Amino acid sequence: MLILGVSTSTARVGCAIGGHEGILGAVHSSRGRRHAETLTPAIEFLCRQTRVELSEIGAIAVDLGPGLFTGLRVGVAAGKALAHARRLPMIGVASLDLLAFALRHSSRRIVCAIDAGRGEIFSASYRQSPGGVQRLGDPQVGTPDDLAAELAAGKEELLLVGDGALRYQEAFEGIRRLELGDSGVAHPSAGSLVQLAHARALREDFVLPADLTPLYLRRPDAEIGWITRDAPR
Amino acid sequence: MSFDTGRGRVLGIETSCDETAAAIVQSGTSVLSSVVSSQVDLHARYGGVVPEIASRAHVDLIVPVVAQAFVEAGLSDRPVEGASCDVDAVAATYGPGLVGALLVGVSAGKALALAWDVPFIAVNHLEAHLYAALLDEPELELPVIVLLVSGGHTLIVHMEDHGRYRVLGSTIDDAAGEAFDKVARFLGLGYPGGPAIDRISVGGDPTAVRFPRPMLGDGTFDFSFSGLKTAVVNYVRKHPEVSTPDVAASFQEAVVDVLLTKTRAAAKAVGARGLCLGGGVAANSLLRERFLDACLEDGMPGYLPSWAMCTDNAAMIASAAWYRWRSDGPWPLDTGALPNLGLPVA
Ligand SMILES: [Zn+2]
Repeated sequence: MLILGVSTSTARVGCAIGGHEGILGAVHSSRGRRHAETLTPAIEFLCRQTRVELSEIGAIAVDLGPGLFTGLRVGVAAGKALAHARRLPMIGVASLDLLAFALRHSSRRIVCAIDAGRGEIFSASYRQSPGGVQRLGDPQVGTPDDLAAELAAGKEELLLVGDGALRYQEAFEGIRRLELGDSGVAHPSAGSLVQLAHARALREDFVLPADLTPLYLRRPDAEIGWITRDAPR
Repeated sequence: MSFDTGRGRVLGIETSCDETAAAIVQSGTSVLSSVVSSQVDLHARYGGVVPEIASRAHVDLIVPVVAQAFVEAGLSDRPVEGASCDVDAVAATYGPGLVGALLVGVSAGKALALAWDVPFIAVNHLEAHLYAALLDEPELELPVIVLLVSGGHTLIVHMEDHGRYRVLGSTIDDAAGEAFDKVARFLGLGYPGGPAIDRISVGGDPTAVRFPRPMLGDGTFDFSFSGLKTAVVNYVRKHPEVSTPDVAASFQEAVVDVLLTKTRAAAKAVGARGLCLGGGVAANSLLRERFLDACLEDGMPGYLPSWAMCTDNAAMIASAAWYRWRSDGPWPLDTGALPNLGLPVA
């Protein structure tokens, strides 16, 4: 089965097509946060270059975030629309899982950190598991300093990656057992998305477009304000 | 130049503010379906539209709303062997509006167009409001003056011909609908403010308080509502015993008076053949009544779209798209959202 994967949860927009023979093609670009402008032409280009018709695609995979809310929604809305229009099942994968999967051959503990804006990052840690990585706990949102303190307290060798890790790298500089991944592995890869989704597709682990929701990990601002105002004093 | 529009069936998508809407319209005038999912309940507790909440709701609702538009039109959105689906183009609002909300509709619309292999058309929300009048009044003779009033816009537009408009006047501060929301919130009437003030004014005396008519005699067709809102606040603070229905009715009277006086003057100035109302505030019962009175008095045909056509909907998007498609052709797939888009100037 061929899978089209779409990732738009960070400043980088990506799409890839692949299946049992691996990744047939991938397009990534990351200039000026033009997610909506870039994505549809990128999919069209990718189909042309891989000589795959949309009618040959068997499932749509999307990066569910967490990440840039607006960017994320571009990919999820487009993915849902494609899946609905072609009557295809969907597969959603967390952005942090995609970052970790690309580093699955590392023996270190992998820590992924995506920029959450407002001085915060979304993060999760992973360890190697047969054929991939295993996430240790739910993704968190917090300050880089909080994460740094948590990482400094452990004893394992660490590999820290993601655009959040790069943006706040000075927060992690004092940790000696920690290596910082460069910009080449800082964004979710659409290829990783297709690989992970393919394994799930073989198990028929699908969702319907209507049941797929982005991972925001943060309430809308107004709701936060409202809850605070409303809280019993 | 004129482009081939096939059977002329356009799927329109509207997500510029707090309504997720989809509609299928044939040849710009025949509405086969029009589905609007309002998020008003999601925003009511905040007293206004919260952009992040609106954008999230659009993502959840966009596919079900599109699917429903096909069901209600009795058409298929399933491409069968070689053939495309039952629509010939997909259109979506690309501005003006809330950027995060617009991007959901634009992204979904372009993806549907790609998946069905049909053209994509980006639609200007303001232009679509002008076409809402034509949908309900196909006989409408141009040129007309359109008063477009909603929570986001307050415009007097001279619609000279298809695709040819001149904005004669607009608001220099709050939109008319915004003034209704703010005054309603101040009076403790809840959200949305327009219907709340309309309802309570029925029991009030519109002559109880003589509120100012900002910019009325200034010779322009522009509006200002923020001073009027302040006048209401000051008056109530000074006269706490005043009846709320009287204040609401007097405020509504002032707004309608300014809107219609300027609209009539604009119509006279350009020699318009008719007057037309659009936007969510056009659902206000006093405005509708006075609008028809004014048309009678001026001996000018008045076009009053149905309530469903006044408020944000996707039928007007699909209709405007068809006229644009015929004259300008399809849009490229690298179209994005333009939150501050104005009316195209002739
Ligand atoms: Zn509107």
